[in-house]
Amino acid sequence: MTRKQKRMAVILGGMSFVTIAVLLVMFAFSQSVAYFFMPGDLAKTDIQPGTRIRLGGLVEEGSVKRGQGSTVSFTVTDGNGKVDVSYTGILPDLFREGQGVVTEGVFDGGTRFTADSVLAKHDENYMPKEVADRLKKDGVWEDGTGKGMAPKKDAAQPEAKIDGKPQVMLQMPGTSGEGVTRQ
Amino acid sequence: MMYLWIVLALLTAAVAVALLLPFARSASAAASGVSNARRSNSTRAGEVEVYRDQLREIDRDREGGLISTEEAENARAEVGRRLIAAAAENDQDNTGGFANRKHRIATALVTVVPPALGLCLYLSLGNPGIPDQPLQARLENPGNNIALLVTKVERHLAENPTDGAGWDILAPIYLRLDRAGDAELAYRNAIRFIGPSNARYSGLGETLVVANDGIVTEAARQAFEQAVKLDPADPRSRFYAALGLEQGGRKDEARAAFEELASATPADAPWKGLLDEHIVKNGGTPLAAKPAAPSLGGPTQEDVAAAQDLSQGDHKVMIAGMVDSLAAKLKDEPDNIEGWLRLVRSYAVLGDEAKARDALSTGLAQFPPDGNDGKRLLALGKDIGLDADASPAPGGARP
Amino acid sequence: MIVEIGHYALVLALATALIVSTLPMIGARRRDPAMMALATTGSLTLFALVVISFAALTWAYMVSDFSVKNVWENSHSMMPMLYKFSGVWGNHEGSMLLWLLILALFSALVAVFGGNLPDTLKANVLAVQAWISSAFLLFILLSSNPFLRLDPAPAEGQDLNPVLQDLGLAIHPPLLYLGYVGFSVCFSFAVAALIEGRIDAAWARWVRPWTLAAWTFLTAGIAMGSYWAYYELGWGGWWFWDPVENASFMPWLAGTAMLHSALVMEKREALKIWTVLLAIMTFSLSLLGTFLVRSGVLTSVHSFASDPTRGIFILCILAVFIGGAFSLFAWRAPSLKAGGLFAPISREGALVLNNLILTVATATVLTGTLYPLVLETLTGEKISVGAPFFNMTFGLLMLPLLIAVPFGPVLAWKRGDLLGALQRLYVFAGLSLAAGLAFAYFQGGGPVLSIFGLALGFWGMFGAIADLWYRGNFGKVGFATGLRRVRGLPRSAFGTALAHFGMGVTVLGIFAATTFGTETVVEMKQGQTAEAGGYSLTFDGFRDAVGPNYTESRGHFTARKGGAAVADVWSSKRLYTARRMPTTEAGILTFGLSQLYVSLGDPMDSGGIVVRIWWKPFILCIWGGCLIMMMGGFVSLSDRRLRVGAPAKRPKVVTPKGGLEPAE
Repeated sequence: MTRKQKRMAVILGGMSFVTIAVLLVMFAFSQSVAYFFMPGDLAKTDIQPGTRIRLGGLVEEGSVKRGQGSTVSFTVTDGNGKVDVSYTGILPDLFREGQGVVTEGVFDGGTRFTADSVLAKHDENYMPKEVADRLKKDGVWEDGTGKGMAPKKDAAQPEAKIDGKPQVMLQMPGTSGEGVTRQ
Repeated sequence: MMYLWIVLALLTAAVAVALLLPFARSASAAASGVSNARRSNSTRAGEVEVYRDQLREIDRDREGGLISTEEAENARAEVGRRLIAAAAENDQDNTGGFANRKHRIATALVTVVPPALGLCLYLSLGNPGIPDQPLQARLENPGNNIALLVTKVERHLAENPTDGAGWDILAPIYLRLDRAGDAELAYRNAIRFIGPSNARYSGLGETLVVANDGIVTEAARQAFEQAVKLDPADPRSRFYAALGLEQGGRKDEARAAFEELASATPADAPWKGLLDEHIVKNGGTPLAAKPAAPSLGGPTQEDVAAAQDLSQGDHKVMIAGMVDSLAAKLKDEPDNIEGWLRLVRSYAVLGDEAKARDALSTGLAQFPPDGNDGKRLLALGKDIGLDADASPAPGGARP
Repeated sequence: MIVEIGHYALVLALATALIVSTLPMIGARRRDPAMMALATTGSLTLFALVVISFAALTWAYMVSDFSVKNVWENSHSMMPMLYKFSGVWGNHEGSMLLWLLILALFSALVAVFGGNLPDTLKANVLAVQAWISSAFLLFILLSSNPFLRLDPAPAEGQDLNPVLQDLGLAIHPPLLYLGYVGFSVCFSFAVAALIEGRIDAAWARWVRPWTLAAWTFLTAGIAMGSYWAYYELGWGGWWFWDPVENASFMPWLAGTAMLHSALVMEKREALKIWTVLLAIMTFSLSLLGTFLVRSGVLTSVHSFASDPTRGIFILCILAVFIGGAFSLFAWRAPSLKAGGLFAPISREGALVLNNLILTVATATVLTGTLYPLVLETLTGEKISVGAPFFNMTFGLLMLPLLIAVPFGPVLAWKRGDLLGALQRLYVFAGLSLAAGLAFAYFQGGGPVLSIFGLALGFWGMFGAIADLWYRGNFGKVGFATGLRRVRGLPRSAFGTALAHFGMGVTVLGIFAATTFGTETVVEMKQGQTAEAGGYSLTFDGFRDAVGPNYTESRGHFTARKGGAAVADVWSSKRLYTARRMPTTEAGILTFGLSQLYVSLGDPMDSGGIVVRIWWKPFILCIWGGCLIMMMGGFVSLSDRRLRVGAPAKRPKVVTPKGGLEPAE
């Protein structure tokens, strides 16, 4: 081979590797990308059973039911619709009724959604971003304080006064709840 | 304050000196006639050294047998070419001028920019007037800052959580600071560790009432009961107990309780008017007509009224405000059974029966009566003498 | 007063950075020694000022000065001292200050140890560093100022996010930033070289220690972060392809590529333009990572707070630096002289292959990370690209690289002999396959693909040994002579071998843990037993405990093998009282390289509790391999040759005060 041919071979080799990579990426996208929906969207869109989606919304109050073993079922709602979700596994620490949640999984033919992952907030003020954006748009949910880390006294009580004054937010370290009774 | 500015000035000066150092050095070097070229690396000497090292490395590799002699020769030639090129440029560079310029503009910039920019930015961003406030020092000298005093006791209690006296001190302060949850815990701990007392139980009861927007809940009622048991004369507990009856719609019993309390109350007690009001509300006549105890320069009628007005008004306004905001919230987020329950109860407490009824039916629209939550609403309605559908005369709504 | 001094020092640092970013550059053009020397003293001054500032903030945290808003928001007086300290960077403002501190540290290191650099290059490099410092100083002062005050001061803070209250926070971010920000030096070298219009083999030698240092720290930082997530989140996973993880992984991939291409440049003066481009790309990816994490476009534990102005600010910094560098590159690159030639089959060829694969892999990760963001911006559609995407693309693309790695070191420079290399390596290949099979056999068998994966791990390890074996020429000269020859090798040779060996160990760990690991979710009541990984785990019941700023409910488990108790572990549910935030503390039992991982779920109505038990065989190999890679980096960094390249051995260059050794 002449030097020119060699160079051509190298360049062709490189190009074909890149092409393979691009094809691979496109294939992987078609296989593993999950679209995000809220319960209200589902009526408008046609989703084949077995298609992976992300479903986000609020966990409806009073809907969480523990079934056999570690299977849990609950209802995800966004004010415009409701979806029953079942999930086997351990729920995140911050999974609570009335709080935002994102689940990923598939519809099993009917209306029941089987999730294989459930994400809740990372801290007490964090609402999964997709959910927060949509809820804000629909006016269902308001940013408590506008700041990611600013604490609310008790997120579970919507009517709790949120006061910007720091003194009001003082908490008793190590003694709240039943801390003392447990000695 | 003064010290701060001195330190800041020193810091600025130090920076200026550090930045002026190179210019001073160059000036002194020029004065002593040392050529800058000698002292500097502005040549390609470093590069030449790298290539020399590479040559040495090739030799080492060849001796070690890592590369063949032929490869070594090729590599030597290649590195050699680089070395020659670099060395040639190096000499050229060395002949290049290194005149010692005057650095008037540069030195001026270096002297002026840090203080000027520093001061301007700092004055707009900084808070030179606020001193450091390490928590330990503040706790040692809390003055009359309630929050700090509370923190101080809290820290003590975190280490000695069984010190009931500490909880006892803290509990009413929490309540005053509007931290009902903490106050409840503190009262309960105080009762657990240093035993029950009238004041603790009645404080606990009051805390529970505050925590529930003025409703005397079952837990609160039990607390007041305990308090009365410990001190039958305690007017506060008796008042709340009666209030509980009133809220439960048991008007006759409530009236009786209020009247009994009123009869035991000296006429100049500030809460007398409040009692009378409740007696009237429950269909009785105030006992105010009774001859007042011979008071020696006690407060005048007006004083009492004023005090009463103040406390009553304050309370009402506060509750009304809370209820309004709750109602507004529920309008936006109706999916909240606890909120509806609370709203209905609150209107009932405020005596606004129409609104309470309204809230009840709106709540029932949200939570159908045959559901669990709906049932709770209905039960509440019954409790406080409201019926969602049929609305009997308020007086006859005894369960 | 201390806090205000810190604030003022930061403002002064900005002024200094502005001076250092301009005057030395003018000096370099005019060849004015005094103005160029300003870069050195200026960078040291800048570092000192940032240290003062950082120390002031740290002091405020240590003494719980709640008059500082940042302290009030992220600290609590009852927190253990260690968390008060690490809490300094456990929030947006503080972490940006740490970023800046490390940037200034690297500038200062270049100023101190850059004695072997030509003055003009050094002045330009430090000036470019100062541009970056100026940009981030402005960002911190104007939009993320940690020195804002509260008056009157609150009596108690709001506590640090419980997830961050861990030893991991004290180690992970500083290591990660040392890596991230360390690449800024490479970027500055590249930009300075482009400004001067001259770049040659010596440049690669000068950049090498900085690349190596940054790469080593980044390796450590990523591994540490991965282990932290593994034990803290309680999900049993060690890598989630979370965008934030990707943000730190992409600079690592590009940096690895740069490390290898700089080698070619140093030896052969080839791939010059490419190396410069990689240097720019690597730091651009670091900046992009900072943007993604700090701007709040991504939400995760890492993004402490989101504030649109910050996002836009960082986006501007990103645009200016990346855009500017690439424009400069486009303008200057054509004028750079081409370097040495080489055949496709050669050491250079192998390194080019390495670069090709690593950059393409970086590109796929970048695509997967940014695609959802781009799509959402353009169409408003929200999608998520999860782990399957990355496993499929990245995993497949890395396969050829893993196969090719052992070939590189045994190929000759310039023109290699593939057949000869195959002859040398086939024994090792056979050994790897056998080892893979044996491994799978002892674990009770597994799918063919995973046996191949295990063999791939062994291949990486044995390939590194083969490298040293042939360098020592043990086969021909006998053991004693071979050993002597190996001892005579430069340290960088050991560094290479260690790093490649470590990579093999990591690959082995990944395949072993994913193939043979088990996951059991069971409902357990007191006294019940579950099986995992050959151990039986008994739940002994709960005990309540109170921590300094949390209360917890701890479940006690005893692991038994063959009836005899071998270990016990606590796993707990915590409630951090100040934020009323629950967390799960996983219980982890280590047996050799394997681990038993116990995580508590929700209590059941029946009185039991859901328990998740993972058996993770050889999982420690994953991080152990990273540790070995890191050691390889340090060994390489200690290579004597990296210090050469200066008239350094002559007493001309002043050795730094205090007998500091050069960066190694």
